[in-house]
Order: sequence, then structure tokens, then C-alpha cells
Amino acid sequence: MNETQEALRKPVTVGGYFKNIWDSLFTTIAGLKITGGYFFQKPITVQYPDERLPIPERYRGIHYLEQDKCIECYACARACPVDCIDMEAVRHGKELEWVKFTIDYQKCMFCELCVYPCPKQCIHQGQEFAFVVEDRNELKHDLLSYQGMSRDARIRKKEAEAKKAAKEAAKKAKAEAAAKAKAEEEKNAPGEESSEDA
Amino acid sequence: MWYPLSTVATQAAITSTPEGNAVLRWLHGIAPESVPAWTLPLVTASISVAFVVTMIALIAMVAVWLERKISGHIQCRYGPMYAGVWHGWAQTIADGVKLLQKEDMIPLGADRPLFMLAPAIVLGAIFGAFVAMPLAPDMFFADINMGVFFILGMSSLTTIGVVMSGWASNSKWSLYGAMREAAQVVAYEIPLGLALMVPLIVAGTFNLREASALQSDWFGMGWLLFKNPFVFPAAILFFIAALAETKRAPFDLPEAESELVAGFLTEYSGIRWSFFFMEEYAAMYLMSLVAAVFFFGGFESPSTHMAGEWFGGGSFVHNLVAALTLIVKSMMGVIFMMWIRWTLPRVRIDQVMTMGYKYLTPLSLICVLGAAVWEALIA
Repeated sequence: MNETQEALRKPVTVGGYFKNIWDSLFTTIAGLKITGGYFFQKPITVQYPDERLPIPERYRGIHYLEQDKCIECYACARACPVDCIDMEAVRHGKELEWVKFTIDYQKCMFCELCVYPCPKQCIHQGQEFAFVVEDRNELKHDLLSYQGMSRDARIRKKEAEAKKAAKEAAKKAKAEAAAKAKAEEEKNAPGEESSEDA
Repeated sequence: MWYPLSTVATQAAITSTPEGNAVLRWLHGIAPESVPAWTLPLVTASISVAFVVTMIALIAMVAVWLERKISGHIQCRYGPMYAGVWHGWAQTIADGVKLLQKEDMIPLGADRPLFMLAPAIVLGAIFGAFVAMPLAPDMFFADINMGVFFILGMSSLTTIGVVMSGWASNSKWSLYGAMREAAQVVAYEIPLGLALMVPLIVAGTFNLREASALQSDWFGMGWLLFKNPFVFPAAILFFIAALAETKRAPFDLPEAESELVAGFLTEYSGIRWSFFFMEEYAAMYLMSLVAAVFFFGGFESPSTHMAGEWFGGGSFVHNLVAALTLIVKSMMGVIFMMWIRWTLPRVRIDQVMTMGYKYLTPLSLICVLGAAVWEALIA
């Protein structure tokens, strides 16, 4: 027999009877006061998609990548304790032609360990925390903002190529000129050499 | 559409005399001679049924929205905010449309006829009870002499529907809920009726319209509450008993969603479920209406008094203000019930029984005795 059952077995005294009535009335009124106070308070919840609570500056949300700074050094992928980062790029001299830079959010635990080792400080964790996908494979989130090379990189590459071509052309021209000069020299004084040889 | 049939029958039986029905009197006045006289009661009944059904639907709609908003604000939330632009006012309409579209599920082992009949009985009984509802001195459907008895009787009929639904569902949760409902209603019917006897002794009439009208003295503030010292405790007792009658928290043991899944509603879904829901809010409104009529002046208030002074007693404006006053008073009762619901935790079944038999019944008996003695000796 527990406490409640014992209390129920005990006969109610006359004083206890009226005390019960008094208690029930006044505890109810006290409760009504409390809930009434809350009723006139401003709600503390926010209308979520329309208004949001401020997110701390160092919040570890979904990653974002400054793709132009990235040098595909794999420092972040090596640092990742769960190996969720995967990247692929083709090198054209100094420029990178990006194929992919994915983070598998099925594995990612938002530990921020990928952010620190980056030599160019180009991978960050942002403020955004909510994203919805319809297929599990889509959780492999691609951080690239563009595929292939950036416009700047293309221009730089073209310039570099042009420079190289010009250099080579200049070299070639120089070489040709040298060869020509030599040939002309030979032509102009064929006898001298031979005479020298002789 | 055989759901409102019980209401039609009740309406036709009660409203067939011109003296008892304002609509019929009005129709007698405007109908041409060529229209056969026997059609008028039928037309009257149809109009009244349409009015009552519309009114109950509107009341349930507003009350459900209010409940959600009040519960939200008591818990420092907003409640519905999107459906409709202004504070989610159309949420109930959206929910109603959703409920209409839902599959009508009847469990395999259920007693099909009883299962289908239960919501009809519940809703029909509460529709029938609304027949005796007065709105204003000249706005009423049936001017029944025993209006209070009629309302209490009809609203007790809903219990039969609830017990029926619990038995027919073939589910132990439903049966537990129904048994609790039966026990609770049997226990609380007595204090409910006894507490209502007190203002009846003071008023001297069972007719809701007459009881309202005789509270018009003292500048519209001659409420029965102020006319006898025993009416005030009786009002509290009546309110507690009404909470138990309408299965509202803290006496919502028949539903008891944390113990009995959803009590007698467990196996119901879609439109049948919404009928039970509608009945709950209509019953809340009905109990608040009876309380408003017999304790808080009915449609009499300073505003009604002023309207009667300025536009003449019995004028359209006077009637309109009176009807609005009564609706507002009843809605205040409904809001107070909601406030109570979100304040008090559910009581145990033994506590419910103790409260009903050991506290409310003797106290209401004392109130009846005291009021009778007061009326005989002092008033």
C-alpha cells in the first residue's frame, strides 16, 4: 500500500473536509493567476522561417569554400577524422580545373578540424544549418560554386600560354636568326673557314 | 444525410405551434393564403435546423481556433499563425477540409452499425439541445416551459453515444474511456442539476427566455447571481459539474490522451471524429449558455438595457444587442473553460468520484436548502 492509498483510507475529518475545499479553490485560483500572467506575456517563440534567432559568429554550420583560393592540397581531407572530404581537380600549370569538392554530410560531424590546417584559409563553416534532400546520395554536398576553371584562371592561363608562346616564338626566332646568321656567315665567307681548316 | 434527422423530428414536434416559435409566427404573418398551413411548420423546422447547424458549426470553428490560440499564449507560444492571414483564423476551416478528405476508417472487429450510429447520436443530441436556446426576447426557436430540463436531458443523451462508440470500437482503450465517461456523468449529473436548482428557485421558472428577461432590473444588472447569497457558490458548483459533464480538463478522463491513447475516440478518424469534436465544443457552449442565462443575466446587461431604452424594447436593434450579449457571455464561459484546461492537470478517476459524490453533491444540496430558506424567509 503506497502513500496515496493510505491517505485515501484515512477518514476525512470535518476540518480536513473544509480544508480540502479551501485548498482546491485557492490552489486553482493561484494556478489561474500564473497561467493568466503567461497569457498576457509576449510569446517567447519566434515564427521560424520568417524570423530567426541570431546565430553565433563562430557557429559550425555547413561548410563553404573559397574556391579561387584553394590549391587542392588535401590538408583538410587529411585532417578530417571521418574522411568525409573528397576533391578532384586537373592541374594546368598553376591553374586548377575543378571536377569536384564534396563533403559527405552523412559522415561529417561538424568538428571544424578541416578548417584549421588549410594553408590558404579557404574552407570555412558557415551559419546555415538546415538543408533538405530527397535522396541519401544527395547528402554528398558539393561545395564547388563552379565546375572547371574560373574565368580569371582561364584568362591567366591564356595569358601564361600566350606569354609562353611568345617566349618560345622569340626563342625560336632568335634561334632561327642565329642559324640564319650562321648560314649567312658561312655563305659569305666559305673560303675562310676552309682555309683555316686547311 | 440522415444525421440531423433526430433534430428535425424534435424541431417539428416542438416548433409546431405559433406561440412557441418566433419563426413560425413570422411565417404566419408573411405567408400568402394560398400556401397550405401544414407546410409552415416544416418550413420553420428547416429554417431552424439550418440556423442551429450553421450556428453550432460556427461556434465550434471559432472555439477550436480560440482554444489553440489560448493554449498557445498560455504556453508563451503563438499558436496557429499562417492559415488565413490574420493570426491563423482559417486554421479550423483548413483542418475541417482535411478531415472531410480523410479515409473513413472502421476497424475490422468493430460493431459497424453502432460505430456509425454513435457520432450521429452524439451530434444529434447536442443539436436537439440547442433548440431550447434563446437568443433574445424575440429570437428563439422553441419557447419550451421546461427548457432547462430539456437541455440537461438532451446533453445527457450524448453520453449514450459516447458509451456506444466505446463499446462498438472493439478496443480496450475505447471501452475504458466510455466506462469512465459513464461513471463520470452519473456522478456529476446530480450536482449539475442540484446546482442549477438554486437559480431556478430564485427565478421561479424553467424557461430560459423568461429567466433571462426577469433579470433586466437594476439597469440590466439584476442578475440572479446578485439576488441570493447561495447563487454564487451554486455557480461555482455548476461550473465544476459542467466541466465534468462536457469531458473537459481537468475531468477529461474519457479521452485522457496520455493514458488511453484517445479514450473513446481512439478508433475514430476523419469526419466521424470531427463530429465528436464538434459535440465537445457545442456542449461547452451549451453549458456556458445555461450558466450565462441562469447566473449571469442571460441576454440582459447594461448594453441591452441601453439598447432597449434608446430603440425601444422589442425592437430589432434591442434584440440584436441582446443576442450578441448572450453570445459574448457564453463565449466568455467557453474561454474560462479553456483557461481552466490549460491550468489544471487531469485528476485521477477516484478523485473525480470523490469530488462528485463527497463534495459537490452535499454542497449543492446545502445550497438548494439555503436558497429555498432564504427565498421563503427573507426575499
